[in-house]
Amino acid sequence: MINAEQLQKAFTKPGSGLFKHEQVKAVQDVSFSAADGAVTGLLGPNGAGKSTTLRMLATLIQADSGSATIDGLDIKDDLLKVRQQLGFMPHNAGIYPRLSARENITYYARLCGLDKAKAHSRVNELAEQLEMTEFLERRATGFSQGQRTKVALARALVHQPQTIMLDEPTNGLDVMATRGLRAIIRELANQGHCIVFSSHIMQEVAALCDRVAIIANGTIAIEDDLDGIRRRTGFDDLEDAFVEAIGAAPVGAAPVGAALTGVSE
Amino acid sequence: MKALIVMYKEIVDNLRDRQTFFYALLFGPVLLPLIIGGSLVASFKQFAIDFDEVTELAVVNEQAAPNLIAYLYSNNVDVITAPEEVEAAVRSGKIKIALEIPDEFGEQLRKANPAPLTLYVNDADKDSTRAARKINALIGGYKNTINSLRMQHRGIDPTVFKSIELTEFDVSEDGSSGQLIASILPFLFIMSMIMGGFYLAIDTTAGERERMSLEPLLALPLDRADVVYGKFGATLCFVLMSSCLTVISIYGLFQFFPTELISGGLRFDGSTLVKAFLLVSPLTVFLSAALITVSAYTRSTKEAQTYLGLMMIVPMAPFFLLQFFSLGASTWSMALPMLSQYQLLEKVVLQDDINSWHVLLSVGGTLLAGLLLLRLATKLYRRDRILM
Repeated sequence: MINAEQLQKAFTKPGSGLFKHEQVKAVQDVSFSAADGAVTGLLGPNGAGKSTTLRMLATLIQADSGSATIDGLDIKDDLLKVRQQLGFMPHNAGIYPRLSARENITYYARLCGLDKAKAHSRVNELAEQLEMTEFLERRATGFSQGQRTKVALARALVHQPQTIMLDEPTNGLDVMATRGLRAIIRELANQGHCIVFSSHIMQEVAALCDRVAIIANGTIAIEDDLDGIRRRTGFDDLEDAFVEAIGAAPVGAAPVGAALTGVSE
Repeated sequence: MKALIVMYKEIVDNLRDRQTFFYALLFGPVLLPLIIGGSLVASFKQFAIDFDEVTELAVVNEQAAPNLIAYLYSNNVDVITAPEEVEAAVRSGKIKIALEIPDEFGEQLRKANPAPLTLYVNDADKDSTRAARKINALIGGYKNTINSLRMQHRGIDPTVFKSIELTEFDVSEDGSSGQLIASILPFLFIMSMIMGGFYLAIDTTAGERERMSLEPLLALPLDRADVVYGKFGATLCFVLMSSCLTVISIYGLFQFFPTELISGGLRFDGSTLVKAFLLVSPLTVFLSAALITVSAYTRSTKEAQTYLGLMMIVPMAPFFLLQFFSLGASTWSMALPMLSQYQLLEKVVLQDDINSWHVLLSVGGTLLAGLLLLRLATKLYRRDRILM
């Protein structure tokens, strides 16, 4: 369960000219919530502030203002407890190429406090669940993107976190691998986990998410379920709805009589 | 505890990396001492004249000076007959050095005139000039004897012509050549330590950022200080391993060192090396921390390699400082990492007394600087920028 309230984050970046710095507001006003047992999509174009939002929630960077709780724990106060509750798979998460898939996952298991025996059985369990037994003992050099993503996902799940955040997990995956990953994510949600899934592809989100928060220019433009988004933007086609939501048009100015039909895909 | 897990993983991971392995276990501890120490040994052997060594001297017209030949022979010079084209033979290196004795040599001696001799040397050949210096010295001795005899023959005390007798007395505690070699030792230690931890430090910090594995790692329920300590520990292990191997290879190398040719009480036996290693060992902490800190500051492995490459100059600084300025051991210099080790190791190698207060200062100052750097690295890891 995630509750984010008016999160803000600005970065200083080197500007034009020596010793000149400029402030870049990566996240201006992000409020959204993600419930247990559901997949919440964080949808937005590149540079909208998705990764920064997830990094703040994962306690990797500190928010300038605003607040958020994960399973009732404040991200500013209970860093270690929040992280214990949280499985985070960042965008392009790297794995260690000289370690085997098992060693990669075991490393994280041990760092999360599992003893050797428990780590071993947990890795076996995850390998079964994510269908990675055939390459489990192989070193990660030369793994396909799909295999790497599975290892990274297994690492994020190794301590059985209640809340799972995946930053663009389907990037670089082929159709079959993407479908496989969707099935896994759906299964995790059915088990009662709270899942936040970020993407810049509307279809991706539509195929998987129960709820969507559309983010643009560091602000949540709209947050609703798929039908609600269609209704409020006035577009039946979800891609049009997405473009509408992130565009200049103020949210809520939906044309009268907007379709209220179900998912078109 | 979690720092230990990080440390163990980094060690296993990096032992599988050929580059790290090569630099930590081969380049620093074996190749570097071999290159530096080896060339030093070779140059000393080249410049030092060994009067016990047999030198071959080609002589033209040896029957013209049988006494001189006998004198040379008794001073370990083997006389061989010179080839026809003596000049060309020396130039081509066929023979190292040749002495031409003219027919009138004996007659001129008998008449108490200056007796001419010609020595053919190839100045471009170090072996030739070394042999020439030896022959020069020997003939100089022969000349002095004849001079004295000539004067005594005329009833003059030979000392009359020695109006001044200048004695050079070297008051330094050691010979300068010994000091040079003594300062090579800490240099070798420090370089091999840096080489030992170089790639591991880059791989575990800047490398981790570059391959995007740092972000998920820092999202785990562990303090960032544990991550830093773990990486520091792994670097320290490699640095220690590298310096231990350096002790062994230096010991092996200096078995070939012609210590009897060097002025001063220079010693390179086992106990000297162990003492030197113990004195230099606090540097492992300092250098590991420095490597980790510099690579935590950088954004990519390339940047880290550039910065750490520049850092390689740092251990050379005290080396040159001590070569060009005679810095005495003082309280402040003994508290400085690296400089103090240079000074202490020099004393160890030259068998000088070591002030225990100085040892304490050196160990304390170095460890303190290491801990401060480690704190700095932890601070760098706590910044948002580490993930940018």
